[in-house]
Amino acid sequence: MAPARTPLSLYVHWPYCSFLCRFCAFSKARVPAGGVDHALITRALLAELRTSLAPHSRDKELRSIYFGGGTPSLAQPAHVAQIIEQASRLVPLAASAEITLESNPTSAETDKMAAFKAAGITRYSIGIQTLDDGVLQRVGRLHSGAEALAAANRAASLFPGHVSLDMMFGFESQTVDQWQRELETVLAHANGHLSLYQLTVEPGTPLFRDIRAQRVKRNPDDTLALMYETAVALCRSRGLAHYEVSNYAASPESQSVHNIGYWQGRQWIGIGPSAHSRFIDPASGTCLRTVRIPDIQRWVRSCLEHGHGTAKSETVDDAEARQEAVVFGLRMLDGLSNARFMRTGCVSSGALSLAEYLRVNQVQRYLRDGYLRSSGRLDHLAPTERGLQVIDSILLDILP
Amino acid sequence: MRRAWKHSLVGCALSCSQRYKTWQSMATACGYLRKASMKSEGYASKADRLGAEIDITGYTPDRIRNFSIIAHIDHGKSTLADRLLETTGVITKSGKNKQVLDKLKVERERGITVKAQSASMFCEHDGRKYLVNLIDTPGHVDFSYEVSRSLAACQGTILLVDAAQGIQAQTVANFYLAFGEGLAVIPMLNKVDLPTAEPDRAALQIESAFEIDAANIVHLSAKTGLGINRVLPSVIERIPAPSGSIDAPFKALLFDTWYDKYVGVVCLMAIKDGAVRRGDRVVSMHSGTRYEVMEVGIMHPEQRPATQLQVGQVGYVVCNMKSVAEAHVGDTFHKDKFPVVPLPGFAPAKSMVFAGVFPLDAGEFDKLNESIQKLTLNDSSVAVHKETSAALGQGWRLGFLGTLHMDVFRQRLEEEYDASVLVTAPTVPYRVQYKDGTSKYIQTPADFPTAIEIQDKVDAVMEPFVLATLIFPEQYLGAMLELCTMHRGDIHTHTYLDESRVMLKCRMPTAEMVTDFYDQLKSRSQGFASFDYEDNGYNESDLVKMEVLLNGEAVDALAAVMHRDNVATVGRTMAKRLKDVIRRQLFDIIIQTAANGKVVARETVKQLRKNVTAKCYGGDISRKMKLLNKQKEGKKRMKKIGRVELPQEAFLSVMTGSKE
Repeated sequence: MAPARTPLSLYVHWPYCSFLCRFCAFSKARVPAGGVDHALITRALLAELRTSLAPHSRDKELRSIYFGGGTPSLAQPAHVAQIIEQASRLVPLAASAEITLESNPTSAETDKMAAFKAAGITRYSIGIQTLDDGVLQRVGRLHSGAEALAAANRAASLFPGHVSLDMMFGFESQTVDQWQRELETVLAHANGHLSLYQLTVEPGTPLFRDIRAQRVKRNPDDTLALMYETAVALCRSRGLAHYEVSNYAASPESQSVHNIGYWQGRQWIGIGPSAHSRFIDPASGTCLRTVRIPDIQRWVRSCLEHGHGTAKSETVDDAEARQEAVVFGLRMLDGLSNARFMRTGCVSSGALSLAEYLRVNQVQRYLRDGYLRSSGRLDHLAPTERGLQVIDSILLDILP
Repeated sequence: MRRAWKHSLVGCALSCSQRYKTWQSMATACGYLRKASMKSEGYASKADRLGAEIDITGYTPDRIRNFSIIAHIDHGKSTLADRLLETTGVITKSGKNKQVLDKLKVERERGITVKAQSASMFCEHDGRKYLVNLIDTPGHVDFSYEVSRSLAACQGTILLVDAAQGIQAQTVANFYLAFGEGLAVIPMLNKVDLPTAEPDRAALQIESAFEIDAANIVHLSAKTGLGINRVLPSVIERIPAPSGSIDAPFKALLFDTWYDKYVGVVCLMAIKDGAVRRGDRVVSMHSGTRYEVMEVGIMHPEQRPATQLQVGQVGYVVCNMKSVAEAHVGDTFHKDKFPVVPLPGFAPAKSMVFAGVFPLDAGEFDKLNESIQKLTLNDSSVAVHKETSAALGQGWRLGFLGTLHMDVFRQRLEEEYDASVLVTAPTVPYRVQYKDGTSKYIQTPADFPTAIEIQDKVDAVMEPFVLATLIFPEQYLGAMLELCTMHRGDIHTHTYLDESRVMLKCRMPTAEMVTDFYDQLKSRSQGFASFDYEDNGYNESDLVKMEVLLNGEAVDALAAVMHRDNVATVGRTMAKRLKDVIRRQLFDIIIQTAANGKVVARETVKQLRKNVTAKCYGGDISRKMKLLNKQKEGKKRMKKIGRVELPQEAFLSVMTGSKE
């Protein structure tokens, strides 16, 4: 019998957007005046894909592919198909592989949805963000709330049980009541999965500058906390289980396999400008973290000349790997098993258990106070709902 | 808050922060003057040193002049000294000396001199050779103790005044120190080449402030060298030669010391009678301890061994002294079996402000202990007492000559010894007189008697005062008077130095001065006021202890002593400040300030309801981990009181003075 293949994820970054949201801190660019040179970008992506996946063809299998961006729904379905096909030729696709595409709910993109399904997409994620047309306009999004709901309905019929809707809360002047009403509406259109993000003010964004110049007011922290709590309660009452800080699913099958990979420390390869990767280098056996060139033109040139656009590659040592395993493992309500922690992808210097690694006194205190839960002698450690809400504070105490 | 406090301390030294850069370059220029505490490097082998011994026995007192330069900070003292050493060939004009610059980082950064230094020059005047010794003085009044001991080694001083800025408060303080020592004072105007210079006006100010004749005042530009050739002739003509006799038994004043890791303590001495050379056995009159002299010499500008130091001369003596504690500044030395009448000596340095110093991490206690010991080796004016705080654990209560001295010490501790320290807000020493006739100095607010104790056992509570001198343009008179009154000050006099500059003298509690007084002074005068102070005794005062409670528990390290009239205002301000600096945690934190058993103010830092990063996917991982590690570092700098995490700023929120 052939040895089991190690799961691998693939992230594909499609860098263009038709509009730029004022809060967005991701790497992206507005579609250039003459339109996107789709063929060129695809050629570069395929080149980088080939170079990056080839070393993994022997012992890995692709558990998930994720088209993110930017706005990958602006890409041509035929090119998406080409990328999926080439990826699966390099590293075999697992039988139940999840292939997600992120999209914006403009009618033009909704019209392409069936073609994306035909291209091999199995899970469709729609960035609704808010249903409030005034807010949509203020943050720079060129679609309406009604269009978003229409897109959600269309996706539900094409990808039943595998649709994810993205929403944000905490926009200026939004009240808890308004948020609750919006969420009720979205829940009525949900089909399997919701991602509900608190609006985060990231340095370098136009929103950040607006807030600094006091053109936009920030919601008080306690209001944001109440909105979060409202979301948790409302989703639960509608049968959507909270499984990660910002993610809710109707059933385990509806959870995002790809994103769970990040939180569980799975290896992934990212292609496209600014994409990150984290994998064990088959040649050296060391764990690497790499970042691609962020500038689109330079990245394209590098891919065409050298077969990849890697800008930076660094080793992830055991200490970092362990820290990451805890920090990301505890973002999930399922938490982290000691068995998984001890196998943590990159650990080469002998295994360490959770009980040996963490500051046990602090863990005990949080267990006692109902912020964490565990089984056995830390065979498994997970946050409670209450703990997850303040997990960043807890991590500072329990990490060595 | 913390920044404001720090600033007020730094501000004492830098009369005007805009000129900070200029000062750095000036500090560079004075680099040849060895910094006393850092003389250990490059000590030549003994043979080399013996071979280089110079003979200065021909310089009898009539051929010697010992002088210092006193000036307000930034008036160009170091540049002048630099030019003098260049013209006498002690240092070359190549600019090489600039690399030697002020060796203490704090001195370099702030352009201040902390330790006294000395340099000897040879020059010719009217066909005769002279040995002229420049004894440097620190410019800031915090170090007036250092100033006065430097002055005790001189017979005269140059009073250097910036022709554009005119007389400043420190000029006044230093002048009176010199005047009190009976020294000859030669006023000189510097920076006369500046377009804004008003030499006549500055001369008039000198006459009205000091009642000395400024008619034939020397005009200088130390920067360009203008008038430099008139400086040493004036010194030789107008400063008296040192007195004393070569035939009398050896007698010398120890006026400065530093520690050298190779030879132990190096002593700077002014020889009052007789002579001393290698191999002599000398005795400290203070301790009676005998020492064998290993080496004598002059600072030229580095240590330069000499065959003999004799009456009138100023130089260094290395005599097998192991610890700076043995070197009692102001001590008189004589030869074994030839006792002399001791010189007056100095009163030991008196601490004006105190602060608690604690390691951030209790495990660092030993390391910090070692750092403090090393630093006090070269600065015996820091009073050190062990202290145990219920909140902060084991630490020290350190006494300083002033707030600048404290800040300089703290900075040196952090920078030179890489120590993470928590320094509590400055407090002043209160005196409590008990009904049973005893009395006690209180250095720590936690030790201050409670309201009940005061009622039952205490006769009087006294607080220390200073006499402050403020100099400023007359348009700020109203603002300055208000400032002084607001800080419980009593205006003594105000004098016009010329038609537009006012000198104001005001007596106020020291506690008022160590808070935000200096910041306020600068902001209310748009930076034009200068300020200095001197100790002015104790007065009875209606003082009470303010306690701070966190979740019902009193935190001794946050206690403060203040005047009863300020209790309500300061109590509210303290609670608010603490609320602003204490971060939300996973539980409510109740802050209370209380005096006389009554709660004055109450604030709540609400429980943290949510603290979790919304988005964390592949590309966010590195950023998230960086942020986490930064936060972990920040947490290490917090002090835990029970479960409450207090940032350093919390301890500086405790300010006892009057507030607006």
